[in-house]
Amino acid sequence: MKQSHLHASWESVAAGASTEADLRQALPFLLPKKMSLKVLVGVKRVIDYAVKIRVRPDKLGVVTDGVKHSMNPFDEIAVEEAVRLKEKKIAKEVIAVSCGPAQAQETIRTALAMGADRGIHVEVPAKEMEKLEPLHVSKILAKLVEKEGGDLLIVGKQAIDDDTNATAQMTASLLNWPQATFASEIKKADGELDVTREIDGGLESIKVKLPAVVSADLRLNEPRYATLPNIMKAKKKKIQKLKPADLSVDVTPHLEVVEVVDPPVREAGIKVDDVDTLVAKLKEAGRI
Amino acid sequence: MKMNCLISKCLLRPQTYSRLIANRNVTNQPVSKVHPLSKNPLRTIHSETISKAYADKIIQETELSRDHLTPELNLHLITQSCRLWKAQPEDSPFPEPFWAFYWPGGQAVARYVLDSPYLVKGKRVLDFGCGCGASGLAALKSKAKMVMFNDIDEVSIEAVKLNGISNKINVSKTSTENLIGSSCEEYDVLLVGDMLYDTDFADEVLLWLDNIRKRDKLVLIGDPGRFALASHPLKADLRCFAKYHLSKTTTLENNGYSQACVWSFL
Repeated sequence: MKQSHLHASWESVAAGASTEADLRQALPFLLPKKMSLKVLVGVKRVIDYAVKIRVRPDKLGVVTDGVKHSMNPFDEIAVEEAVRLKEKKIAKEVIAVSCGPAQAQETIRTALAMGADRGIHVEVPAKEMEKLEPLHVSKILAKLVEKEGGDLLIVGKQAIDDDTNATAQMTASLLNWPQATFASEIKKADGELDVTREIDGGLESIKVKLPAVVSADLRLNEPRYATLPNIMKAKKKKIQKLKPADLSVDVTPHLEVVEVVDPPVREAGIKVDDVDTLVAKLKEAGRI
Repeated sequence: MKMNCLISKCLLRPQTYSRLIANRNVTNQPVSKVHPLSKNPLRTIHSETISKAYADKIIQETELSRDHLTPELNLHLITQSCRLWKAQPEDSPFPEPFWAFYWPGGQAVARYVLDSPYLVKGKRVLDFGCGCGASGLAALKSKAKMVMFNDIDEVSIEAVKLNGISNKINVSKTSTENLIGSSCEEYDVLLVGDMLYDTDFADEVLLWLDNIRKRDKLVLIGDPGRFALASHPLKADLRCFAKYHLSKTTTLENNGYSQACVWSFL
């Protein structure tokens, strides 16, 4: 009894299709499996770009207590690109990863609201977070990518707090994967990525074989902001919690911060009346 | 706005409803951080007053929209022109208004039911987790014998009644019981629109649905490809019966999804 009405619906669907392409569209389980990537995106919780930064009294860092934090802008661009790949059916799953204290979960939730499927939070307490280096993060990301069987890792090119611009490169090296950094455009082409990179001299086009590491630059895309329906659904998505030790990564610092100071205040310039005075002043200042 | 007076359990008369729609003030609403409908245990609130309060708020915060896969249905939804579209969850007067959005899975099921009315005609239908009630309304339009609208959120039930009025469809059977695990003997067809967004919940729901279909009931599941379904072992028993491309607006509400499918057990 049940079989008949199910067959009837297949036939009616098939009857509506006029060409083979339509038929495959109408009965999608006939389609062969398309190549679909598992994408990991690294996101970092940083002090918001609009905040006025103040150096701590102990001169070993900046004030972070009570200061507004948000997702690193380049990481937002990375998440946006991953979600777009998913919408184009190039990616089948997007996993957002972040290292940090409990509040890093908010950053992961933002990524989930933008369209990531699930999150992984690698817990690093606030005190240790201050001393966490790009090498530690790279080791963590490399281990996670292997564990999850990722095909593509996208991160922001650099974090706006330390500007080290090293994580993507080191992760690629640890994984022995090709890297495409400062990406301003990504196109997929048969097991490879066509990436346009922003470099000092202009733009460079390269092909990287998958799996690969990509770092996102400013002009790659314009990220969407999370709307209420997406925030609501994001609350139900899973965030897995791990510790660096679970991935056998040692986060002992190798670097020691000696001092943090404000950049020198820019002094006012002087106006001179004629060229002779200018030359005299320049000689005085030892410039010529 | 002329409205046919239908016999409906909704406590809002059609004339009042049309007046509210016309005078609805969408902007300049003070953002209240306290849930205005929070129950004061010291006061007994008459249930009629609560219903009317919900209905008023729903009409205020939503817009009637046909911008989805089933334009035959005019639904009260939070759209881009509503203030809550860009709001943070704390600013919403409703806790988790799932009914205020027409989720892609629900759209797919409703569309399929409207296109294939023979599946529900003369049958007893359960719209499980009905939200805005579109799937059940589609079943009633397709001449189902009876439709039970079920959602644990009582505000959702008010929204369903309002959607019934705006589409001239009689919404008579509603329930806020948690039906997971129940036998569903009294139904022939179960409509499940986009309920599989949480991996643990999806697990419970899919196992329960699997038990129901083994007793020869038709189960239709709508899903845009959410991870919880894609990775579940029972997915192997499901077949895709229809695939739809989502409207631009719907994709904005559901980042990462551009299509929705209707699945059923074979």
